[in-house]
Amino acid sequence: MIAEAIRTSKKAVIPYVTAGLPDLDATGEIIRALGDAGAAAIEIGIPFSDPMADGPVLQKASHLALKAGFTLNGLLSRLGKWSSSVSAPLIVMSYINPLMRGGMRETLVRLRDTGIQGVIIPDLSCDASGIHEMCRDIGMDLIRLVAPTTTEERRREVVSQCSGFVYAVTIKGVTGARSSLPPEVRRQVQDIRSLADLPVCAGFGVSTAGQVEDMLSFADGVIVGSHLMARVMESPDPVAAAGETFRALLKKESSCIEA
Amino acid sequence: MKGYFGEFGGRYVPETLLPALQELEDEFSAAWEDRGFRDEFAGCLRDYVGRPSPLTHARRLSEHLGIEVWLKREDLNHTGSHKINNAIGQILLARRMGKERIIAETGAGQHGVATATACALFGLSCAVYMGARDIERQHMNVERMRLLGAEVVAVPTGTATLKDATSEAIRDWVTNVDTTYYLLGSAVGPHPYPTLVREFQRIIGEEARGQILEKTGTLPRAVIACVGGGSNAIGIFSGFMNDPVELIGVEAYGDANGRHGASIHFGSPGVLHGALSYLLQDRDGQVLDTHSVAAGLDYPGVGPEHSFLSATRRARYELVDDRHALDAFRLLNRLEGIAPALESAHAIGFLGQYAPDHEGATVLVNLSGRGDKDLHTVLQEGL
Repeated sequence: MIAEAIRTSKKAVIPYVTAGLPDLDATGEIIRALGDAGAAAIEIGIPFSDPMADGPVLQKASHLALKAGFTLNGLLSRLGKWSSSVSAPLIVMSYINPLMRGGMRETLVRLRDTGIQGVIIPDLSCDASGIHEMCRDIGMDLIRLVAPTTTEERRREVVSQCSGFVYAVTIKGVTGARSSLPPEVRRQVQDIRSLADLPVCAGFGVSTAGQVEDMLSFADGVIVGSHLMARVMESPDPVAAAGETFRALLKKESSCIEA
Repeated sequence: MKGYFGEFGGRYVPETLLPALQELEDEFSAAWEDRGFRDEFAGCLRDYVGRPSPLTHARRLSEHLGIEVWLKREDLNHTGSHKINNAIGQILLARRMGKERIIAETGAGQHGVATATACALFGLSCAVYMGARDIERQHMNVERMRLLGAEVVAVPTGTATLKDATSEAIRDWVTNVDTTYYLLGSAVGPHPYPTLVREFQRIIGEEARGQILEKTGTLPRAVIACVGGGSNAIGIFSGFMNDPVELIGVEAYGDANGRHGASIHFGSPGVLHGALSYLLQDRDGQVLDTHSVAAGLDYPGVGPEHSFLSATRRARYELVDDRHALDAFRLLNRLEGIAPALESAHAIGFLGQYAPDHEGATVLVNLSGRGDKDLHTVLQEGL
């Protein structure tokens, strides 16, 4: 249960990991390391050739993972093992095309059968009622994004077709670390929370323990992606780097200085 | 469903962009109903672009092929291609919406030049995203854009061509959505772009229909245009949609190594850049590398309305490879004194396939742009 895992976590930080970097076996170890380090849930990113919502770091991660030979079947054959190796729920994040390619329902069922509990699709069709119902039938959370530009009417629609948690996008822009985050985020999270009995997690741009601390003062959880993947890509020991980077984000006094 | 052509089209974008797309849709609908806007657009096309563009009977080419070939001369527009029609239309829309910063993507550079030109005309700031590989092979257009005051932003990621330039333009738009107007150059992208671009290019088909009726007294047997994203093709097709006329789009069949840009022929339904359409992709849904000697056709997707026209068989889509496009480029120079853009040369190149079975038929070809920009490429291939 994703919502429950976030609510019961003392400090709900959700790491994002691009699958297949440097290879799928390493991804498995990174996920275990993040689970051990106390991740509330873990997002596994399916690399895509044309990631239009991603900044330079996650573009590079996608590109390198594909170059290293990532395949969806390779991932599916390992997910079962990964989900039984950690207590944190696993979530898949993917652009819509790789999910649609083998049939949306078929792919989601295969993911569910490996223990994946939720899915995030950054370029979901603007009318997502069909996929919402499909996910409900299959028994999987469809985590929806709410942007700073989202109108109130649209926010109601999105939240009513969302489960697991609501992903509050903190900034106008693509993924990637920012030195400061807009103060409106607090208001945005409160507005979303008033609409549904779901945890609200904030993501995009978060890269320091201080930002995590700030966000958690009003949000139920925080998602960290680019910052983590930047460290994973630059370290000779990606597994250790993932664990250390994540632990540093949980500490209030952090040595993680924004590059 | 709204925003779809049959099953194709839609709006598959980051949530941040949805309000901007809705605003664009509303604003376009209002503008298109507004007599003042239509008059302003028509005035710009007449007095600045130089419309109507002529319809030329290609006498020697017709003799050579044994069919009657008529060329719609979009190459004679200001800036040298059909792209200016859409650029002017969207700039007027951007002004109406109060946007002061314009961004665009470009492949061959024709849309970039058209956008930079329209921005210069109205004093708006302009950034054009262009694949690093395209910057190399379309150098003259890069210099033109800079002269016009635009910033040309090189995109080195992915295949460093039009698809990556488009992704990067979308990323800019997500980041600067409050102040920026995204002037998309082809009939692709999320709703309402495919419809909006078609409407701004419809003038090609409307003029051509009147001109060919006036000159020949009949409708042509076929209307032929090259298809990358498909804006020149949808523009000319839209004038003949309800006529008993064959609509033929010509896709880039690329090189001898099996690399091409023929999305309708070899693709399958998929989502790229915000719309569901035929897409060149592998079995995992990763978008494939493409190739065409014509940078403007070097794109793995296609406008959703073309997918619809193909699926419903209202139009058919044929193939012409690099070599035949280059041959057509040379042929049109020698026989008609016209240097076509390598994109448009694909449409000319198709006539060699069409003519043998259609002796005496009248065909209308959209000569969507001129080929000065491609001289460098053609010289490399050998005259």
